[in-house]
Amino acid sequence: MPPPVQVQGLTKSYGDFQALKGIDFEVHAGEVFALLGPNGAGKTTTVEILEGLRPRTGGSASVLGFDPETQKQALKDRIGVCLQDTNLPDKIKVAEALTLFGDFYERRVDEDNLLKRLQLWEKRDVFYAHLSGGQKQRLALALALINDPQVLFLDEPSTGLDPQARLEIHALVQDLRVERRTILLTTHYIEEAEKLCDRVAIVDEGRIVAIGTPREIQARTMGHSTIEVLCEKPVPEGELPIWTGSERVALSADRHSISVTSRHPGKTLVELVKWLDERGIELADVHLKRPTLEDAFIELTGKRLRE
Amino acid sequence: MKAFFALFRIDMKLALRERSLIFFGYMFPLLFFFGFAEFLHADRGGAINYVVSMVLTMGILGNGLWGAGMRAVQEREANILRRFKVTPITPTPILLASMVTGWLLYLPAVGLVLMLARTMYGMAPLAHPVSLFAMVSLGVMAFRAIGLIVASVVNTMQETNIAVQLIYMPMMFLSGATIPITVLPPSVQTFSQFLPASYLVTGFQGIFLRSETLAQNWAPALAMLVTIATGTFISTQLFRWEKGEKTRKSAKLWLLAVMAPFLAMGA
Ligand SMILES: Nc1ncnc2c1ncn2[C@@H]1O[C@H](COP(=O)(O)OP(=O)(O)OP(=O)(O)O)[C@@H](O)[C@H]1O
Ligand SMILES: [Mg+2]
Repeated sequence: MPPPVQVQGLTKSYGDFQALKGIDFEVHAGEVFALLGPNGAGKTTTVEILEGLRPRTGGSASVLGFDPETQKQALKDRIGVCLQDTNLPDKIKVAEALTLFGDFYERRVDEDNLLKRLQLWEKRDVFYAHLSGGQKQRLALALALINDPQVLFLDEPSTGLDPQARLEIHALVQDLRVERRTILLTTHYIEEAEKLCDRVAIVDEGRIVAIGTPREIQARTMGHSTIEVLCEKPVPEGELPIWTGSERVALSADRHSISVTSRHPGKTLVELVKWLDERGIELADVHLKRPTLEDAFIELTGKRLRE
Repeated sequence: MKAFFALFRIDMKLALRERSLIFFGYMFPLLFFFGFAEFLHADRGGAINYVVSMVLTMGILGNGLWGAGMRAVQEREANILRRFKVTPITPTPILLASMVTGWLLYLPAVGLVLMLARTMYGMAPLAHPVSLFAMVSLGVMAFRAIGLIVASVVNTMQETNIAVQLIYMPMMFLSGATIPITVLPPSVQTFSQFLPASYLVTGFQGIFLRSETLAQNWAPALAMLVTIATGTFISTQLFRWEKGEKTRKSAKLWLLAVMAPFLAMGA
């Protein structure tokens, strides 16, 4: 079976401005895939082309075997979408919105179950305008699920929510992953990409600058691990040796803690511990700090993400 | 079909939850009704028929042009229509639901005006109530269709106001809806022949003042039908789900096409 989402050489221009400069990726069945990037990177442009919302300028795209530009109707019936910028009428009630959207699709799931699953059951008779940000977002997810879609596009599903509401959204995405639904989400939260996604593409200025599992991306960048050890007694006077792989060694003023940046943290750590042991120094604490996806991101794009 | 009924149900609910419906839909026509009736001494000498015909025409114009446009434009501006764009529905059920809702909600106002005219100003019983009902219905839908075209062309509420005023005013004053057409200069009378509202007024006057049937007023009825058909078709072509969407060139040609029947009928 071909991957449910395939994108090759995708380009998009708005007038003279090239928002996408050739994007390639695939999302495999049952995979949670994130487009991670700063403001204006082209994340929304990419997903909205795939949803059949915007025409593309060049390249090819296929979702569930449909071309999003020429087979819009068939495609839209089968996918679930959570848009970044959208609203519902102020005076529509939660349950009414779900019933309404359910009637647009060939296939639909039970509304009551969906309301319960998204913790909206108590809010089913509340006007849209009176919902909190988190509740509105949960309703948006409920609407995205009403047709029981195999492929979901979630454009910044947790942006602007408080930490609690964000965790609820994360839990739901993890559930959907267990159900083997294919999910393409966009985010500019590194932790979100790390926690939820099987694979991540880092997008910057209309290009993918790295793609792979969060771990692969971390490993590929030059960001190095840092080892920090705290000793029971001060390290004796004199120069510290050069351990295998170590690049930068620092000793605290009280000579109690050593911090080593290394390309081969495993080897460095063994040698460091051996060296301390030979001098009869016991360890009080050890820390290994791996480079984060964030370090990788900054290194790849030279930018920080907004927060 | 399923989508149409779903949208129609929601449109009705949303409209009934709007306080402005009571005001613009029902209070306004009544204010005009009493105003004109008192001013023209409608309780004497059959002027009441003239008042009723005038108030209903105004109501139909207002309901169609303002009512249809407002919500569509508001929902597009608020990024609500975008959400519908990612579902498999087309503009047609959205537009039809809006049209049917507007028509149904206007009927009580018609009933109210007729009842008050009959009980308070001694209007004679209607000779052809079914014909009147049909003419009212055709009229509301025709002006709703024009309102939908306006809504798909303009971008903001402000633009809607201006565009609707530009259509509403000439239709009110140059179609015979308020000022009798015979007192207007001949050149304006010719212009009037091109206004869809003139046909509505002619139809109403036939049914109200001369107690004719719809069949005897087939020409105005046909004009309304043509307006409904072309108007609805063109608004599906011009429909825009998002602020950023540009009107397609082919759609602009369709806009010209809607004018053609009236140019033909006027000539
Ligand atoms: N309709 C449009 N017309 C013109 N330019 C646009 C349009 N939509 C997006 N752009 C531009 O294209 C670029 C990519 O925008 P896009 O919305 O895809 O970014 P994004 O990665 O989703 O950003 P964010 O994190 O802010 O949502 C931006 O520079 C934006 O200004
Ligand atoms: Mg975006």
